[in-house]
Amino acid sequence: MIVDLEPTDDQRLIAESVGGLLADALPVARLREESGHGARPETTLWTSLAELGLFGMGLSEEQGGFGYGLPEEMLAARELGLVLASPAVLAQMAAAHLADDALRPAIMSGEARCAFASLGFDGTASLYDGDEASHVLLLGDGAVLLPKDAFGDWESAVPMDETITLARATVPAALPARDAIADRISLLIAASMTGMAQAATAMAVDYAGQREQFGQPIGSFQAIKHSCADMAVRAAAADAQVRHCAITFGRTPDDQREIAAARWLAGNAAIENAKANIQVHGGMGFTAECDAHLFLKRAHLFAALGSSRRDEERRIVADAA
Amino acid sequence: MKLIEEPSLDRFREECRAWLNDHVPRDPRPPEGLELRAYDMAWQRIQYEGGWAGVSWPKEFGGRGLSVLEQLIWHEEYARAHAPTSASMFVALSHAGPTLIVQGSDAQKAKHLPAILKGEETWCQGFSEPGAGSDLAALKTRAVVDGDHLVVSGTKIWTSYAQGADYQELLVRTDPDLPRHKGISWVICDMSLPGIEVRPITTMSGYAHFAQVFYDEVRIPLSNLVGSLNGGWRVAITTLGFERGTGTIAHQIELANTVERLIATAKEMIDPVTGRTLFADEAVASRLAVLRAEVAALRSLTVASVSRGMREDVPGAEGNIPALYFGELSRRVNGAVIELLGPGALTRGGAHDLPKAYLESFKWAIGGGTSEIRRNTIGERVLGLPKGPRAI
Repeated sequence: MIVDLEPTDDQRLIAESVGGLLADALPVARLREESGHGARPETTLWTSLAELGLFGMGLSEEQGGFGYGLPEEMLAARELGLVLASPAVLAQMAAAHLADDALRPAIMSGEARCAFASLGFDGTASLYDGDEASHVLLLGDGAVLLPKDAFGDWESAVPMDETITLARATVPAALPARDAIADRISLLIAASMTGMAQAATAMAVDYAGQREQFGQPIGSFQAIKHSCADMAVRAAAADAQVRHCAITFGRTPDDQREIAAARWLAGNAAIENAKANIQVHGGMGFTAECDAHLFLKRAHLFAALGSSRRDEERRIVADAA
Repeated sequence: MKLIEEPSLDRFREECRAWLNDHVPRDPRPPEGLELRAYDMAWQRIQYEGGWAGVSWPKEFGGRGLSVLEQLIWHEEYARAHAPTSASMFVALSHAGPTLIVQGSDAQKAKHLPAILKGEETWCQGFSEPGAGSDLAALKTRAVVDGDHLVVSGTKIWTSYAQGADYQELLVRTDPDLPRHKGISWVICDMSLPGIEVRPITTMSGYAHFAQVFYDEVRIPLSNLVGSLNGGWRVAITTLGFERGTGTIAHQIELANTVERLIATAKEMIDPVTGRTLFADEAVASRLAVLRAEVAALRSLTVASVSRGMREDVPGAEGNIPALYFGELSRRVNGAVIELLGPGALTRGGAHDLPKAYLESFKWAIGGGTSEIRRNTIGERVLGLPKGPRAI
């Protein structure tokens, strides 16, 4: 199978229109302000995002979509990662694939609201930015879309990523087994994480080119330059693997293994690049006023959405076990 | 981003597969020296006669003129057929030949290009020196114009397949007074000239694949200059070949095969301490999973390079990303083989000389630009970071 990983003109246009809207409305700096927490800017954007076609982007025309596929959806998910958009936005995109015919139009229009929840080891669901959600996309090994009120009482808690809200509740039913939709959602999460890895690289490179010590920009020193180069390589490797999967999805017997590899690489790139970005920023990187920590906290949150490093490793060699 | 579905490419793949299946030499390849050279030249001749010589070279110069996608397919099938890597023909086919095509005179092209394609001449590279490795522009091998000749004295090092090579692409300093990048010339050196001595250097894997070459007042005709006198640096850096990242695909596929063999072995081999298979150890399974993911990423990075190659005339510095990834991953994969398979993996010889593969793997993070130099290039030319201190 031969694939072309460069976006077509059409795909480039989609990525640019989504990216343009997000960059204007959701600058990463918003997250440093109290009012930026809890997905509030995203909430006011919901209608624009729905009008842009974000919430049915990967659906076939029979399902009421635009006939775009996973590559277009993946590129949009990547743009969400670049600006650290609320996980609820990606959840709304993903939910379109799990909703039945009755619910799907409401998800595409944004009338029904979705948010991701992760299944924890203790059997509780952790819901992220789900204050205004009507539905919960619960992720574990498999994925299921449930009405939010199907769960017991939601209790709020304080997440490591304080720019989103967290609520916890007991899960009402067992999760279904892993299937192709769960793989597809995992790939979209991976795509968002490649965006985060890319944005952290750009932030580190920008700072390293400006910050001067010993009379020169710190980016001229190999210790810093090589750290930035490694960030770029991790981001490029994860991005290439995610793109490759977006094209070959559904066409090979290796989907689960390839997507697990994409998810592992993207999670690793998002987390390691976030750490490296903090280090490049030195003392500033350790402060709350610098954006660097926001990438770290968000990367950990996304990497743990219904998954873990070990879960993905098990999937990658599942055929050998 | 799309699937490329062209029946002509499928037919092309069938054509490659059928031809390789019928023609790949099955007799074992000699490990080094003149026997290895003879073997590689004979295989090149077979490819020439079958119409497969110079797959990436333009047709007007006798090459096959494959598109970048066809090259991808050819190299995939080449690896699948376990065809021998180009080895002693590598510099001629992938470096010297393309340089002459772009920058050589008509006479130089007529003399060398057909001979390379037919497997009648092999080339080696004379770039690095004991005092000029990563800092290539520090090279000191001197060439003085004397009438219609250049008189060359000095030494080159890490010259792969120098033993028995017919020609060398030689970088010499023709004007020590000019700024260091500007006093260098690129010249075709006939390795049979008087005054040349080749001293093989044994590598850490025990083979003598490279050498140090000494030049004692070697007289090379000025007509062997490629490009202008003192214009050699430009010739050297603008020659990037026609391969667009497809050149190492066979090595990448071999790396993937190594990981798959390691997984298969780990499922069967019993650890005498635990009484269970190696794979039953979560730490081992985890390590193998990561290597498999990274091999997949390497494949995807190469596909990304090829995808860009379909659109660009000149490959950019981004090509260092898959090259760096490949070099580092080669070491990790072969290192895992040696570390996981117990004392038995430390025995030399046999069909799978595991220590040889491990020891050889170190070269991929050094040759053709060390990982550190590649990181500099990625930092400066891909990311735009400021340059570090440099000699002028």
